[in-house]
Amino acid sequence: MLRKIMFHGRECPHCKAMMPLVEKLIQETGIAVERLEVWHDEKNADLMRSFRPAIAAKCGGQLRVPTFIDPDASDVMCGEVPYETLKAWAER
Amino acid sequence: MQKKFWRCYVCNDIHWGVKPPDLCPTCRVKSAYIETPSREARTILDQPLADGPDFSRDDFRRAIETFARDNEFRVNPDPVKVESLLDGLFANEENHGLKYCPCRLRTKEFEEDIKIICPCHFPAHETYKGQEQGECWCGLFIKR
Ligand code: SF4
Repeated sequence: MLRKIMFHGRECPHCKAMMPLVEKLIQETGIAVERLEVWHDEKNADLMRSFRPAIAAKCGGQLRVPTFIDPDASDVMCGEVPYETLKAWAER
Repeated sequence: MQKKFWRCYVCNDIHWGVKPPDLCPTCRVKSAYIETPSREARTILDQPLADGPDFSRDDFRRAIETFARDNEFRVNPDPVKVESLLDGLFANEENHGLKYCPCRLRTKEFEEDIKIICPCHFPAHETYKGQEQGECWCGLFIKR
């Protein structure tokens, strides 16, 4: 099964806005998206930092949240996006 | 370009920068800054804390309103968004030492991470620069 990660921050408004879309994606497509909170969980934070070169290259040089990443392909997308964009990323 | 501490020999204002200010913004004396060791600067800056936080949520709210007042941006009028961001900023301060941006993660590199202390230099963000309805990455500040 495809494994995808969403890095998010508990208090980040864009992350909050994306949550229902991610729920919908999981229900509609069955793609597993692991949602990992990074400001209140150092293990998740370190995992996100381990992808820093790939994430920074796509996210203004920084570790922004929300970040959507495919850990194998290092396919990175960040920020608040419409459902279709999220789905296209997940199905790539 | 290595930043250093500078101290006004008249009023003890502290400046951290590559060069000293020509004119002291507090006492208006010219050429008043001398390079100062960081221990000295930190001792002056590290004023004794009163009981409880030295900068409350209300203090911070007031500070960002005042800061935005004379700028081309304002604090987001959506109170739910603002309060959520303040939750994040104060949680980050408590857990990680500084009011880091809730919408980015610190790298653990000092030079990088001081760029995400709120407010950051968001007019450079692509979500703000050149946008008609620009906002900082989190949406705490929006263009007027
Ligand atoms: S993006 Fe907005 S909330 Fe985040 S640090 Fe910058 S000004 Fe603060």
